[in-house]
Amino acid sequence: MLVTENLTKLFDGFKALDGVSMKVDANSLTLIAGPNGSGKTTLINTICGFYKADGGHVFLNGEEITNMKPHEIRKRGIARTFQIPHPLKKLTVLENLLVAVAEHPGEKLLRCMRCSSWERAEADAVEKAFELLEFLELDALWDTEAYKLSGGQLKLLEVGRALMSDAKLIIMDEPLTGVNPKLAHCILEKLVELKKRTTFLIVEHRFEIVAAYVDRVFVMVNGRLADEKSEAFREVIRLLCFK
Amino acid sequence: MEHILLTILIWFGLYMIVCLSLNIEYGYAGIPNFGRAFAVLVGAFAVGGVANRVLMFIFGISNGIIEGSASVKSAMNEIMARDPAVAILFLLGTLCIAAILGAVLGAIFILPSARLSEHYLAIALLAISEVSYMVCYYNPDIMGGYYGVSTPDPLLFFQGEQRLLAFSVLTISIAMLLYGIVSKMLNSPFGRLLKAMRENDAVVEACGKDVMLLRVKACAVGSSIAAISGALYVFYTTNVIASSFNRAEWTFYPFLIIILGGLGSTNGVIAASLLFVVARVLLSTYKWELKSALHLPFEAVWLEYIIFGVLMLLVLLFKPEGLLKEKPTMTKPIREMVKRTGKGARKQA
Ligand SMILES: Nc1ncnc2c1ncn2[C@@H]1O[C@H](COP(=O)(O)OP(=O)(O)OP(=O)(O)O)[C@@H](O)[C@H]1O
Ligand SMILES: [Mg+2]
Repeated sequence: MLVTENLTKLFDGFKALDGVSMKVDANSLTLIAGPNGSGKTTLINTICGFYKADGGHVFLNGEEITNMKPHEIRKRGIARTFQIPHPLKKLTVLENLLVAVAEHPGEKLLRCMRCSSWERAEADAVEKAFELLEFLELDALWDTEAYKLSGGQLKLLEVGRALMSDAKLIIMDEPLTGVNPKLAHCILEKLVELKKRTTFLIVEHRFEIVAAYVDRVFVMVNGRLADEKSEAFREVIRLLCFK
Repeated sequence: MEHILLTILIWFGLYMIVCLSLNIEYGYAGIPNFGRAFAVLVGAFAVGGVANRVLMFIFGISNGIIEGSASVKSAMNEIMARDPAVAILFLLGTLCIAAILGAVLGAIFILPSARLSEHYLAIALLAISEVSYMVCYYNPDIMGGYYGVSTPDPLLFFQGEQRLLAFSVLTISIAMLLYGIVSKMLNSPFGRLLKAMRENDAVVEACGKDVMLLRVKACAVGSSIAAISGALYVFYTTNVIASSFNRAEWTFYPFLIIILGGLGSTNGVIAASLLFVVARVLLSTYKWELKSALHLPFEAVWLEYIIFGVLMLLVLLFKPEGLLKEKPTMTKPIREMVKRTGKGARKQA
């Protein structure tokens, strides 16, 4: 599904990504683990076009998408969440989700004037958004501006926005930080259910929660993927299996 | 008295149009277009520069634009006096030219700078606007420069006070029409997307929407509308001189109005336009009385700049959200959903 080859990213000579080659299988839930500052977020940003890669390639289902613009990559089927929540602060929770609808006909400059041409799509999106909000326990806040949400709620909003899109691959950067364990398990169960048509690539430090749901693990250390025989990798596996 | 009222109506219409356009660009899309005056100037150019040249070509007048425009004016006025249909056609035709030219130049205008972040963008747009203004003012070949050019008068059937009345009706009708169009556009998923771009463009990119293209679209629409107001202003004065399109009147005041009205609130912007125009017209009508009453040590014309400058500061300091708060985009499907599921009990935090 997603393949990176020798992906490299430099920040002023500092190698944040140092030749990352990985394969993510379709319809899997893949975990990226690793210490703070090991380059996980940088990897996501580089895959999704938010950073320009200094070397290497990214392929999605065989098509090269290296260094495309973020919106082009999203259109090809990769959606992402941000580690630090990016709420649209003055927009309501509902609006925050609706913005994530892919190819909404009502967002076209001239078509938006003809309500009949987009109200169908909008109604479907609203329906889906309310379902998601209920699932994420945000439905009572649907018309609250996002700047009024709590830290955990902002995280849930990020997850909601990713799930609104019907992307082929959804990359989530620490989606469960600050989310209460019960809801976190519900979310992971939902992801497992959605795996039938979507692939998930997730960065998460809360191993005790994700352990039961993960199909595959990559461990990053200092901008590289750790070898399966390395101590760092074995430690992550140990932590995951404790559960 | 009647004269003051009509003047207020006319300026209300003109400012309402410009502020609607700026509200799309700044209030919604978050593009700080400090070059608003440029788009208004483009509208004036559409009449004084483009329409005049087309008519010179039709009448076979081959002088320079300054003398040519005078001949065009007398020839056109004669024809229009005989045939009102020509007057209406001329009026609508030039407004269309202004709108199209505004859209095209507005889009081109933003292209090189659309990548810049907010503050640099504001400075770049201001600079482009100022340069265009200087070029138009000091180069008589474009639209008469400091001599100006004259333009035909499509309202020549009306005389004196009557003409003022006719013009105010025309301006207000066009402003209302544009208000309808703009509200509809902004109350759609497109308007919502513009707001999202203002809040965070990385999110909009991550959702698969091209931020550059969106900015260009917002500027094209905004500039097109602002250009209509420029063209209307020319019909009001029936001549064009670039110095009428300075940054104080067509950039600074519109910014003051939309901030006063509440960024992103279309109704607030209209209310603020009215307040502003009433204050301004009264101020300039009674400036001599004011000067002597207040024993001002300077010319009363400066009073306007001082008062509005201070007003801007006060609004920013004490009421940055403006008169009316921005409302969420409630499209019909959302309203229906809310009604059906009884989520109507709005939780106000
Ligand atoms: N924009 C940037 N400019 C310079 N250095 C950066 C930038 N972004 C990240 N880095 C550096 O790259 C390294 C990897 O950062 P990254 O954010 O990818 O870590 P991470 O694995 O996501 O960590 P965490 O688990 O804490 O989120 C860090 O040392 C960081 O300082
Ligand atoms: Mg990170």
